[in-house]
Amino acid sequence: FPGAPYGAGGPYGHTPTGAPYGGGAGPGGPYGQPGPYGGAGPAGSAPPGVDPEAFSWFQAVDADHSGYISVKELKQALLNSNWSTFNDETCLLMINMFDKTRSGRIDVYGFSALLRFIQQWKNLFQQYDRDQSGSISFSELQQAFSQMGYNLSPQFSQLLLARYAQRSSNPSIQLDRFIQICMQLQSTTDAFREKDTGLVGNVRLSYEDFLTMVVTRMM
Amino acid sequence: MAFPGPQVPGGGFYQGGYGGAPGGPAFPGQAQDPLYGYFAAVAGQDGQIDADELQRCLTQSGIAGAYKPFNLETCRLMISMLDRDMSGTLGFNEFKELWAVVNGWKQHFLSFDNDRSGTVDRQELEKALMNMGFRLSPQAVTAITRRYSTHGKITFDDYIACCVKLRALTECFRRRDTSQQGFVNFQYDDFIQCVMSI
Repeated sequence: FPGAPYGAGGPYGHTPTGAPYGGGAGPGGPYGQPGPYGGAGPAGSAPPGVDPEAFSWFQAVDADHSGYISVKELKQALLNSNWSTFNDETCLLMINMFDKTRSGRIDVYGFSALLRFIQQWKNLFQQYDRDQSGSISFSELQQAFSQMGYNLSPQFSQLLLARYAQRSSNPSIQLDRFIQICMQLQSTTDAFREKDTGLVGNVRLSYEDFLTMVVTRMM
Repeated sequence: MAFPGPQVPGGGFYQGGYGGAPGGPAFPGQAQDPLYGYFAAVAGQDGQIDADELQRCLTQSGIAGAYKPFNLETCRLMISMLDRDMSGTLGFNEFKELWAVVNGWKQHFLSFDNDRSGTVDRQELEKALMNMGFRLSPQAVTAITRRYSTHGKITFDDYIACCVKLRALTECFRRRDTSQQGFVNFQYDDFIQCVMSI
């Protein structure tokens, strides 16, 4: 049974069947035919090219030991500074970004890349969170957009805060929403640029084109 | 050109009154309006409701019927669909408008959910959207059905979320198509704001 070299499941091993991904995964387990993992090393070591810490985390997050992480599993693993779990939309966006098979879930390689991605955004977030409050306020968001090169109106930042922040006297957004907003800004910009072949900052769209553009990128 | 929209009681493309009403009754009979009861029960002094309050309000009004009530993200989407002053909240008039629109969509869903399973399949979703008048390219349909189906089925809540998004996008486009030709010239920042405010 090719999944067997991982023995009792590595550092978090507790699966009764002994293979890290449990019974029922079929011959070869989730990583398919004996190949990269045949004789790869001692039980619990990360697959080649994967950071050991990312690998441990992967095993912990992959609650059902399927060898893949779903939106639901990912959500439980990621926390904002106020201890809330990442929202569904952000998790979905990120899974889609790192899911090569379009199956709605990611393997250990996708997860490893996703962790690096989140760390990059986290660094940016902390940079823009000038008062280190753990969340980004209206003025910090405005500054962030400007520094990222976007020329967006204050009403737009206002709208985003109204939608995504808790209702309070000083609404601010958490890391998950910040990532979501920035990812959507990027996709929308890419979609627009694709049509704006003359680089004039203006595109003429039919209703159907408009819907297609948005639906395929934002949904 | 005619834009698609949900069919509501009375038929035709939906044109509601826009703008929220302040807290108290604004017209005779409003206080007797059963919807006002649900609304007032959750709205604060400002006469506005946010996504959490909307979720409670809709659950209590029983609009979802036998279906599971709406999740918070869907409620957030519903607010953004009607939130013209970009406040992130709805007043009573906007809430009434929402209620009528959602009811229309629900009737539509019911007509497809023959076995009352609370879900429809991809082909049924496609048919429902076409019936509502949304002209979608094959890629758009694929993207939508992929996004909203779980194991090939689409739940009532996800169906509503999908309708809200499509309608909001349609409104967004329609408001800019002043000559009603079905074409809009978008400036970059307007495009971003339009799309991301959905």
